[in-house]
Amino acid sequence: MNNKARLDERELVTVAVAEAKQGGAEMAEAFFACSEELVVEVRNGEVETLKMAREEGIGIRVIRRGCLGFAYTSNLNWAVVKKTIEAALANVRTATKDPYNTLPEAPIRYPEPDLEDPALKEISLEEKIEKAREIERAGRAYDPRVQLTERASYEDSHYLVTIANSRGVLASYRGSFCGGYAVLVAGAGGEQQTGFGLQFTRKFAELNPVAIGREAAFKAVRMLGARRLETRRVPVVFDPYVITSFLGIIASALTAEAVQKGRSLFAGKAGKMVAAQGVTIVDDATLAGGLLSAPFDGEGVPCQRTVLIDRGRLQGFLYNTYTAAKDGVASTGNAARDSFKSPPELGCTNFYLVPGEASRDEIIKETERGLYLTEVMGMHTANPISGDFSVGAAGIWIERGELTKPVRGMVIAGNIMELLELIDAVGSDLRFFIGKGAPTVRVASLTLSG
Amino acid sequence: MLSREDLEDILEVAQKGGDFAEIFLEQKEVTRIGCEADKIERVISGHEQGAGIRVLRGEHTAYGHTNELSKDSLIKLARQVGRAARENPVSSVLLEHREPSVSLVVGQRPDEVEIDGKVALVRAANEAARNVDNKLVRQVTVSYGDVIQQVMIASTEGTYVKDERIRSRLAVNVVAAEGDVIQTGFEAAGGTEGLELYQKEAPWELGRRAARRALLMLNARRAPAGRMAVVLAGEAGGTMIHEACGHGLEADLVQKKLSVYAGKKGEQVASELVTVIDDGTLPGKYGSYRFDDEGNPAQRTILIEKGVLCSYMYDRVTANRDGASPTGNGRRESFQNRPIPRMSNTYLAPGDTPPDEIIRETKAGLLVRKMGGGQVNTTNGDFVFEVAEGYLIEDGEVTIPVRGATLTGNGPEVLKQIDLVGRDLGFAIGTCGKDGQGVSVSDAQPTIRIPELIVGGILEKEGDRD
Repeated sequence: MNNKARLDERELVTVAVAEAKQGGAEMAEAFFACSEELVVEVRNGEVETLKMAREEGIGIRVIRRGCLGFAYTSNLNWAVVKKTIEAALANVRTATKDPYNTLPEAPIRYPEPDLEDPALKEISLEEKIEKAREIERAGRAYDPRVQLTERASYEDSHYLVTIANSRGVLASYRGSFCGGYAVLVAGAGGEQQTGFGLQFTRKFAELNPVAIGREAAFKAVRMLGARRLETRRVPVVFDPYVITSFLGIIASALTAEAVQKGRSLFAGKAGKMVAAQGVTIVDDATLAGGLLSAPFDGEGVPCQRTVLIDRGRLQGFLYNTYTAAKDGVASTGNAARDSFKSPPELGCTNFYLVPGEASRDEIIKETERGLYLTEVMGMHTANPISGDFSVGAAGIWIERGELTKPVRGMVIAGNIMELLELIDAVGSDLRFFIGKGAPTVRVASLTLSG
Repeated sequence: MLSREDLEDILEVAQKGGDFAEIFLEQKEVTRIGCEADKIERVISGHEQGAGIRVLRGEHTAYGHTNELSKDSLIKLARQVGRAARENPVSSVLLEHREPSVSLVVGQRPDEVEIDGKVALVRAANEAARNVDNKLVRQVTVSYGDVIQQVMIASTEGTYVKDERIRSRLAVNVVAAEGDVIQTGFEAAGGTEGLELYQKEAPWELGRRAARRALLMLNARRAPAGRMAVVLAGEAGGTMIHEACGHGLEADLVQKKLSVYAGKKGEQVASELVTVIDDGTLPGKYGSYRFDDEGNPAQRTILIEKGVLCSYMYDRVTANRDGASPTGNGRRESFQNRPIPRMSNTYLAPGDTPPDEIIRETKAGLLVRKMGGGQVNTTNGDFVFEVAEGYLIEDGEVTIPVRGATLTGNGPEVLKQIDLVGRDLGFAIGTCGKDGQGVSVSDAQPTIRIPELIVGGILEKEGDRD
């Protein structure tokens, strides 16, 4: 075995699991991940930064006498991997015993989503650089007040995931995606405002650089002349990007882990109304074209679609193998793992608010006075445990159903549960921002400080 | 790791593509321990290694990295990255070893302490937090981490630095609940130190403080909404100064005109009471280092002196562009990233007013005793920061606790307004994010008063106005 310094990844994970078993593990898992990334940033038509990156590594998880140990390495030399297995076994010693620590069995079959664009590897670097240039050109041409590029970039990524465990799991998948991102600055009368545009997709052919650049330019220009308003309580129309950032707080509270550990706002509310009628929230790792779609989760459990909130009523929670064992239910395939450097955590996949009927313009038109909220700042300070949020706010003031003047430098505050209950309109314009998505929604009333 | 001659050979290949080439090699040993629900859930050891090669040609940067540290694979990468930057004539590279001028001494190395000893620290924090109130404290999460990072940095300008950086961190998050109200309390300590850190910052003390804050917030009222005077206590940390002017003084943002402080060197940008310093040499602080990630020595840089803008924070690229010297602020998260200008330990220098007097002189307003995270839009200067522990000030007296508020203001406007600066100084640690790279920093400020900031609280009824 040891005469070969470097094994292919299926051999590597298989041998690593066997080695861990031999070292005394009752159950063992090896998770290999490899990714290749390209990022091109342009400014004023010139390539400013070109980054090519390759990363790989392996994470070893072992269970012995009910205790869990984990170690990882980015050095795949077999001697180093062996040491890593020893470290995982040694780490078991100080961990607390837990009867629910277990690994999943091999399933009968996995779904086979289409995750890779074979064309992507064939496309030349020059053509990819041109995409970034097109983004910038389209944005700068949109309006003469668009004077600076903070960022105009193209990026793509290829990845390979392989997992094996001592209960028969041995599986792998490949995937790729590409995207463009723009942050542009508009200036007038000594004032500068920024706007961003982005798109990420599985298919290179679907990438629309002109739309990305124009979106950033349009958003920057419309904020020029923004002012602060007096403090008041008003209806707030959330742009899809903003409501998507709020979904992040909800996602963690909808995991079984948060419930079991007494830190979920939704604990004890299964089967009850927790949101307005119009609110349906789904986690779907099988979504066609979804950036977080996959055949299996971070521990080899097949991925699925899970309805969490159905027309306002809480249906259930997201599970991994551990939390499912504890509650005596089946895993929903939500063991999340974004790197070989961590053991699987519980997390969401393609997580979104299901669209309704009304168009964005109809929702705005039906709003007598209020704020069309397009940007929030400090979202990471929102508290997912208490649900309290208080974040910087900017947007456009709505007067008699019309978008009027831009507003910035204010704060919007409330509680996430209150926000869910007060949603009184859900738009039809569902849009994804990588793994999360939402349409335009209106919240009947929130405090806006200024 | 590789020899000096190996590095010279690799750099010579990379240099073909540009005016400047650099290699950054890194090996990192990581320990993480996680405790929740009274259980040691996670004990993680990690080994990471890799190298990043950067080639500059004019304003163009090519960057590549790999996990493989053999000379062959690095020559291959050098060729690839060099090609991305085009062809150039070659000259030979001679590396000269650089000795540190800053000494950061570690008392007790993390790799000389058994895992049991580290687990004991975690347990101590957990138990102390729970013992504050066994009934109301519902959950305690303790996370421990230490990192030993070995780096080697070499460039075609002859820079040759080998260094070892050691960092430790322990954080406690407490959830308290009573009836329908759930609140949290957070405390963290960290430094460029080994386990001696926990002699000054006892884990049980961190646990107790976090639990007490969570309990206090259970009985707090929602913060008011609108404009008011704000006093930031010295112990609150330095998030405000980090956001209101720190980021805007990073030279890359300034040169791209993405900062409200662009073109203002030598101008009065703040009240005369305001002096802001970035100092990477402070012993033990979380944002300290001997050399930055380009091999330049850390230094103390006065950014604003008595309100006048004196200097920006530079890395090599931005310093060259301004004809300035690098200020030792070229930092990167890991070998996977190119260095960019970043803060180290940034603080607003103390003044001479006793902190008590600042509160006494404030008729009505908000006292912030602990700040949380923040964010800034450097292009227009708007920033926010979170209040983790706040109180109302009424007639110069601290009265009831309030919760759940973010404060917002505009950097240049707020710096000009600061009208009282205390003689105390309190540090807090954080991980600062920029361009997708997280680096360890600390920030600090004395007790200060800002006559008017916007407090993002709650109005109870529709149509209510202030």
